[in-house]
Amino acid sequence: MTLHLEIINAAYLMDKTTINNLNTKELVPKMVFRRRLTQASKLCIELMYQINFTQGRVMYVSALGELSSTAKILNAILNNEGISPTEFQNSVYNTPVSYSSIWHENRSEIMTISSGNNSSDRLLKLGAIKALDGDEILLLATETLNIPNIEEINKCIEYLECAVALKVKITQKKQTITVENRDKGLPQSIALLIEIAKKFDKNKSNVIGVTL
Amino acid sequence: MKINKAYINNSSCVSCAGNSKEELFLAICEKKETIDIDTNYVKNSAVAIGKIKNSMSFDESLINECKKVLNASNLEDFTNTLLIVGSSVGGMNKTEEIFFKDKSYENINPKEHPIDAIAHRLKQTFTFYDDISFSTACTSSANALGYAKEVIEKGIYKNVLVVGVDSLSYTTVCGFHALSVLSSKPCTPFEKNREGMNVAEAIAVLLVQDQPTKPNAVQICGVGYSCDAHHMTQPHPQGVGAKNAMQNALINANISIKDIGYINAHGTGTMANDTSELSAITSLFNEHKPYVSSTKSVTGHTLGAAGAIEAIICMMALQKSVVPPSKNIVELENEEINISNEVIEQNLKYVLSNSFAFGGNNTSLVFGLPL
Repeated sequence: MTLHLEIINAAYLMDKTTINNLNTKELVPKMVFRRRLTQASKLCIELMYQINFTQGRVMYVSALGELSSTAKILNAILNNEGISPTEFQNSVYNTPVSYSSIWHENRSEIMTISSGNNSSDRLLKLGAIKALDGDEILLLATETLNIPNIEEINKCIEYLECAVALKVKITQKKQTITVENRDKGLPQSIALLIEIAKKFDKNKSNVIGVTL
Repeated sequence: MKINKAYINNSSCVSCAGNSKEELFLAICEKKETIDIDTNYVKNSAVAIGKIKNSMSFDESLINECKKVLNASNLEDFTNTLLIVGSSVGGMNKTEEIFFKDKSYENINPKEHPIDAIAHRLKQTFTFYDDISFSTACTSSANALGYAKEVIEKGIYKNVLVVGVDSLSYTTVCGFHALSVLSSKPCTPFEKNREGMNVAEAIAVLLVQDQPTKPNAVQICGVGYSCDAHHMTQPHPQGVGAKNAMQNALINANISIKDIGYINAHGTGTMANDTSELSAITSLFNEHKPYVSSTKSVTGHTLGAAGAIEAIICMMALQKSVVPPSKNIVELENEEINISNEVIEQNLKYVLSNSFAFGGNNTSLVFGLPL
């Protein structure tokens, strides 16, 4: 079975180290809230602003989740230090979309999945099946791998920080976007979604096919 | 869009409360002591946790539970089955083992660390049609079950294997200790003088299909999602999000409040959760008051596995016409709820199971016997 998703809006961010030039200070003026945000949370809030989505269902994916908080917790345990409660609360995979839901007071269904290198594919499938209900859905993905000593384990990913957002709805229109090649420097988990976002053209019909 | 209905035809689980679902239900009904006092995980502190007690490794138990479900099913294999995993820590225990020994990330296998580590492990033994893993902290496997219901109802898949799984890890035990919510003794959800929660591990496997294959198959009748949009770890004090999730589940099941005979509460035993959940339940069920209990007093809080193991408990409550009791409640925090303190034999038509998580992620599920 193949479902078609129309991409209503799309945006992406990527950097080989850290994505800077974010508008977090303007978008989240409340400092006490802003200072708790993880980098992935900031990226989500930035992308939601760029594609103008604050209310509605959000489906989010990250293969490796909140790596920075996870690493800080592991190092604290290793060194017999106390764990920061904020780091622990920030270590769950649904952290970025939880912060954005709090900030935007979005009480809709917010779902988080994580499927390794297949994460892009699974997010499109999840989004397509959810979108059968007829609403516009936000698909979000981030990978934030820029942590100290990441080179001990990362041998091939060039872009340590990537994020992508696709606002989608189900459609009967014919497929217009196909992705043949993916940037090998991107995390495999997110590469497909970024290539789709790169092909988005607001002056054309943007439809992808999702084979279940 | 509802084409089919979703039935739980087979299930199996292992937890600190037993190595089978029968042992689990008996432990709940007999209020057995299942939680251990541990001084290993948190330095200079004793915390009560729930450990699986068998001779297998955690990975072996995971495979074993899936095999038990497959062997009891009408399937030859899982090649036409969607695997849906719900987990909050994935392969964290393996990562900790390697990192604490090596003091380096170098030997950590990237496929065995993240949430997908569970599906990765299962796919070494079984072949599935496809797979997806949910990770929304303590609602992970409740959301996995909700999605199983959705994909079957929409006619996308016929067979779905839901695996709710979380192992104990230093990260979670020490993390909850850092939040000052752990109890030094077995937890007593909804007891006025409760101390906190018990982190625990469990594996719960459910085969959900579009046709009942057994006369006592239980249907997943409704799922309700909501988001608190309130705080990262504190639930809304009036339980607004929790109430919305329960309401949405009842609407999705197309039943009314008076149809619910029992609520398996999220009931972690923390001050914040229990107060919020009690507010939500008393606010929604203000005239008709179904029995309420939290079986975490026996299973501990199995985090990402909680929704799945509590689905099995709800399923058995329906099949056996037994309301599972609460344990060790002397003085209720809120006298307005109809707490079940002893085993109550009663025909149940529909039961509700609550799961709430960090980030204000709320999921309620309605289970029922087929009409």
